[in-house]
Amino acid sequence: MNWINAIVQGVFLGGLYALFACGLSLIFGVMRIINLAHGDLAVAGAFGVWVVATRAHLSPFIALLPVLPVMLLLGFTLHRTVLARSLRSGPLTPLLTTFGLAIVIQNALLQVFSPDVHSLGSLTGSVSTGSWRLTSQLSVPYLGVLILAVAIIVLGTLQFTLQHTAFGREMRATAQDPETAGLVGVPASLVYARATAIAVATAALAGTFLAIHSTFDPSSGPTQLIFAFEAVVIGGLGSIWGTLFGGIVLGIAQTIGATVDPQYSILAGHLVFLVVLASPRGRFMAARSATP
Amino acid sequence: MIKLLGATAVAGPAILRGTTGKAAPSNIIKIGFVSPRTGPAAGFGEPDGYVLGLARQALAGGLTIGGKNYQVQVIDKDSQSNPQRGAQVANDLINADGIDLMLTTSTPETVNPVSDACEASGIPCISAVVPWEAWYYGRGAKPGQQDAYKYTYHFCFGVEQVYLAYSHLWPQVPTNKKIGVMWPNDSDGNAIRRELGPLLAKDGYIVVDPGAYTDGTNDYSSQIAKFKGEDCEIFNTFPIPSDFVTFWQQAAQQGYKPKIAQIAKTGLFPSQVEALGPIGVGLASATYWAPSFPYTSSLTNISSKDLATNYQNSVRKQWTQQLGPSMALFDAAAAALKGASDPKDKTALVKAISTLEVETPVGRLHWGTGPNANVVATSFLGGQWVQAQAGSNYKLDFVICENASDPNVPVAGQLRAWTA
Repeated sequence: MNWINAIVQGVFLGGLYALFACGLSLIFGVMRIINLAHGDLAVAGAFGVWVVATRAHLSPFIALLPVLPVMLLLGFTLHRTVLARSLRSGPLTPLLTTFGLAIVIQNALLQVFSPDVHSLGSLTGSVSTGSWRLTSQLSVPYLGVLILAVAIIVLGTLQFTLQHTAFGREMRATAQDPETAGLVGVPASLVYARATAIAVATAALAGTFLAIHSTFDPSSGPTQLIFAFEAVVIGGLGSIWGTLFGGIVLGIAQTIGATVDPQYSILAGHLVFLVVLASPRGRFMAARSATP
Repeated sequence: MIKLLGATAVAGPAILRGTTGKAAPSNIIKIGFVSPRTGPAAGFGEPDGYVLGLARQALAGGLTIGGKNYQVQVIDKDSQSNPQRGAQVANDLINADGIDLMLTTSTPETVNPVSDACEASGIPCISAVVPWEAWYYGRGAKPGQQDAYKYTYHFCFGVEQVYLAYSHLWPQVPTNKKIGVMWPNDSDGNAIRRELGPLLAKDGYIVVDPGAYTDGTNDYSSQIAKFKGEDCEIFNTFPIPSDFVTFWQQAAQQGYKPKIAQIAKTGLFPSQVEALGPIGVGLASATYWAPSFPYTSSLTNISSKDLATNYQNSVRKQWTQQLGPSMALFDAAAAALKGASDPKDKTALVKAISTLEVETPVGRLHWGTGPNANVVATSFLGGQWVQAQAGSNYKLDFVICENASDPNVPVAGQLRAWTA
């Protein structure tokens, strides 16, 4: 029974990782950039929600509504002002740019919000602590179901948009060959800016759920970035449904590892990640990303 | 990596800003003070600004030592809760500011590297708020060694006081004496597993230890399942604060309800417990200082009660137990300087510290009588966070429920079973 419970909890944990990984996967898929500031953008979003929720005495879920458009706009501006320039100077510059951006965001948050640790869990009431008890050994937490559902909806919408809308077609075309797409009238920079906007908004969403699931402070970003990155790699770089799969595999690996011995929890996740990297598929991904 | 780069980036100007270099004028005494004011351990550093203000005020007229009046400057630095940064600011204070005495407090990540820097440079150093075993043995002292350090001195509770607190607190609620423990795979967790586990087992407690988990784990369902399966009516943990929130929410989701939830390392300060919401009320914790400690700061002549009241009135935040030891550091510093034949002479100052006896808010400290030559063991009293009484400005109150390691402190109530 413990094993079943471990797998169930792992699936829910995977939902959170997938939500984190979604924006990272999108930016990589479209622009071939690994956004090292992704975790910090998520934490910035969480702080935004925290400010709205505590100032206006709102539930974090309602506080998300004004924050998401702001984050969309922030992502759009971020691309227009920073990423677009760095994209022009070769593949390494965007990586360094996002690394620098991560430091700037962390220190800006530290300056504004101090390093105090916050949680949104207590503001959501029973959502963060309640569950359906199936048996005494197996319970299904409300929050886990909610996060997994949101992850599936976000990833599903993204997949549908990419496959079945004109906007998605432009995005796929730009991802494959920005010059040719440009020749037929699809401006790459606009597509990129939109992708960044969506990615930053999903990061904020993920950050908010992290803040409800546990706690956050200005330095929480990098840890979550590692898990998100692992989920993306396990699921296949740039693949949307793969990201959900990767997140869930990572989550289950961690909970199964913990059932064997708690000290293997995070290690088990890293090991799965390394196995995927070392597999033929991992080598293929590495080769593909080296020649954009 | 990001942290490291950030730290160096900020550190640059400090060297340029540094004052005249090594030798300060002979009538000025400089005291360095390093604590975590930002970063994950920032909760500890929260009242330091206020305490520094009190200390500077008390030292404004200087100190008269051996008929000579000395000006006293206190230079405070932030360790950012980061060992590299802590060592760096300590070396800045030693080399650029030319301090005569170092004070440092709160968590091994800050205190141990600062103490090491002082030991290496021959600067006297007094430190606090690291369980003394983690400070003494964590820096390389061998078991059985009695005077491992020449320049660095420390006061704090140790595993013995933790054990005293738990063994007097837990019998107040009837349980099956089964303890589910979450002791992480870090220096604190492993020290507790090695030292505290056997002591509890000797008292007839059954320790259910699922194993050492990694800090930053996002899911604790396997531990919770184990505690529920074994029916652990007592729960104990030494986690980093954010991990406890994740664990405790998950425990609520999965229906693990121990009768006693004894937390350490987190839950020391009201803001940490408030952040948990309703599931925080009733958690058992412990304290190294409280306003009811019947002691007075010898430097400022402020009683423990007034220290808390004045802090609440001027800073508009609830008192935290960190006020006591931070104030005590300055009491010890002033007493040591006054007791030295020449406060500018490092050897004389160290000699004064090694036999120093001084009254502070946390109690009477007397070096040379403690568990070893460098350490004074102070008290650690078990208690419980309860809903504040109606009319209070704050949401929670800490009630001391036992006083085994310092019977002078009044017991304010009895431990109640956790019910949330």
